[in-house]
Amino acid sequence: MAHPSQLGFQDAASPVMEELLHFHDHTLMIVFLISTLVLYIIVAMVTTKLTDKLILDSQVIEIIWTLLPAMILILIALPSLRILYLMDEINDPHLTIKAMGHQWYWSYEYTDYEDLGFDSYMIPTQDLAPGQFRLLETDHRMVVPLNSPTRILISADDVLHSWAVPSLGIKMDAVPGRLNQTAFITSRPGVFFGQCSEICGANHSFMPIVVEAVPLEHFENWSSMMLQDT
Amino acid sequence: NQGQNSSNRKWMKGFKLLGILDVQRTPCARDAILHGAGGSVAAGMLFFLSTSRVRRSFDVGFAGFMLTTLGSWFYCRMNNAKLRVQQRVIQEGIRNKVVYEGTSLDPTNRPRADAPSGPS
Repeated sequence: MAHPSQLGFQDAASPVMEELLHFHDHTLMIVFLISTLVLYIIVAMVTTKLTDKLILDSQVIEIIWTLLPAMILILIALPSLRILYLMDEINDPHLTIKAMGHQWYWSYEYTDYEDLGFDSYMIPTQDLAPGQFRLLETDHRMVVPLNSPTRILISADDVLHSWAVPSLGIKMDAVPGRLNQTAFITSRPGVFFGQCSEICGANHSFMPIVVEAVPLEHFENWSSMMLQDT
Repeated sequence: NQGQNSSNRKWMKGFKLLGILDVQRTPCARDAILHGAGGSVAAGMLFFLSTSRVRRSFDVGFAGFMLTTLGSWFYCRMNNAKLRVQQRVIQEGIRNKVVYEGTSLDPTNRPRADAPSGPS
């Protein structure tokens, strides 16, 4: 989860998010170098004693400042497109989950084998147990098996919502009347938090998402227990 | 425990150059910047010693910084990417070892003791 005054990304919990982190580092280094170059040029221009009002053009520098940005953009675009197409790959998911956005909670349906469905409401601040996170915890978590490709179908019941979990590198709009599909693999066990990412009314800030990645046998035990409860 | 927490918090703070590049937490960033600084000083000094032009030496030093930083950065990131690929292959292999051992898909391809070695 995010920690106070955090500026960077959360630690990656899926291979796609790892690739996004690496791409971000790559692009940030390019941005840093360009910023340093601009800063240096500003200092050089301010401190020079030379002035020449009659320069109209200079072929060499114009070629340099055309080709160099083009090369930099290609250096950024190639890994970007690679990750874009990587994110679109959905390779034979082992599990399909439907996430429906409502005002103001999420509901999840696991209908591959049995008919399991439940709602996921935020735990109010006054009901939190010690150690739980304010505005992030829910009464029922979306549990997924570890290291298994999981497909998630996202839609909404009323207004626009958005299902987002930063650690997994996922954000997908929940549109009423439309089914959006995305997929992920959790590469490490843990609990991953997200929040609704499309303004949806008064309690838009109070409908979080919690994904819990557990080994397969624990997932089977959990789903049996949930089926018995329902 | 409190000492561990404070050292963890110190590690998490990071040091951001120009307020944007966290050289402590970004892999290869610290080495790239240090190599760049060294390359910059070396290039600038060499140019100055050969031409005695102060202002142009600073320009050459800065160009040296950019080129050395970029070169060191990409070299380190390429190596890290190759290691990451190897790590994933090894992880996959460890995960599948039990499943594929003794079958035709076994990457070690050790012949089984009871299997005939040639035409019988």
